[in-house]
Amino acid sequence: MPLRSTEAGWGALVRAFHWLVAALILAQAAIGLSMIQMGVTPAKVRVFALHKSIGMTILALVLLRIAWRLGERRPDDPAGMPRWQRGAARAVHLALYVLILAIPLSGWWFNSASNAPLVWFGLFDIPSLTGGYDPVWKPRALLAHQTLFWILVALLVAHVGAALWHHFGQRDEVLRRMVLGPRPRNGEGR
Amino acid sequence: MKLLLAGTCTALVLGFAAPATAQTWQVDMAHSSLAFTNTYQDVEYTGRFRRFDARIAYDPGDLAKAKFDVTVDIGSLDTRNEERDHTALGGDFFDAAKFPKAYFATTTFRKDADGKVVALGELKLRGVVKPVQLTVTFTPHGDTATLDVTARLQRLDFGIGTGQWADPSMIGNDVTVHGHLQLHAKPQ
Repeated sequence: MPLRSTEAGWGALVRAFHWLVAALILAQAAIGLSMIQMGVTPAKVRVFALHKSIGMTILALVLLRIAWRLGERRPDDPAGMPRWQRGAARAVHLALYVLILAIPLSGWWFNSASNAPLVWFGLFDIPSLTGGYDPVWKPRALLAHQTLFWILVALLVAHVGAALWHHFGQRDEVLRRMVLGPRPRNGEGR
Repeated sequence: MKLLLAGTCTALVLGFAAPATAQTWQVDMAHSSLAFTNTYQDVEYTGRFRRFDARIAYDPGDLAKAKFDVTVDIGSLDTRNEERDHTALGGDFFDAAKFPKAYFATTTFRKDADGKVVALGELKLRGVVKPVQLTVTFTPHGDTATLDVTARLQRLDFGIGTGQWADPSMIGNDVTVHGHLQLHAKPQ
């Protein structure tokens, strides 16, 4: 199983980053949407702490993922894919990268401006971005965090919809190679 | 002759110069603070009470007449975190609606062998009265002075955040209180 991506498909590391970040984002959405409904209890404090820790984990993973991607080629698009579809796919992918960086950053920013603690899974302190309470930036950071999340939801509908369309409609390799990697060439066997 | 003069001066100071009551002081609130440190999720934070009233009678040479009498407006709590302040003033913690004030009054002062001054007193907080010790650092500058006091309390002694909030890894039980007062001498 090749670590690096080839013209035929994504390498193991890119796929691991993709599905790990995807799973964490789903968990974050579920935790984030339910935690804001909770009454003020120690359980709420713990769930917020978990949301923050997972968010900072996503931020770190996305930075590593981008660093790795910069040194890799992307697999070829399916033959005959129209230009507008390539452009749309690139635009959505770029926007997804921007969002999965900006959402944890805005959460970190909101947490900092709220003067709330940020201890990664109870292990170490992550510094404040604002140097303490900041009543001016606090509501802006929260608005950014929430708005960017809903934009992410909309783009994920497009992203997942396009992947399913490739797989079930076009019957091409686009989804398969993100799940299983490149199909082995003749003679290589599996 | 010199010795005799020095002796006379000492006698004068001891015998006549000491006022009948200790020097009383006016607190310059703009340059004074009543703050505390505690931990939340094991991270230290500082809070303060923006409104308090302190009556200070203190003469370092006459501790027997010293007296601190302090009233704290609990609703003036500020930990630089609105959500935390709101929760802290609610029924699970300070319960400011029911106990809007805290009171502290000294009973006696003593000077330890190392010269450190300790004030013993009682704090009434959230309806609970407990003895509290303050370490006192008094620094006179002519007609003004600074007074720094430090006390260590346990929040659970006063029923602040009991039950589900009692866990000290969530909110530390130990609280260090630090008062810094800028004083101006009141005319005797």
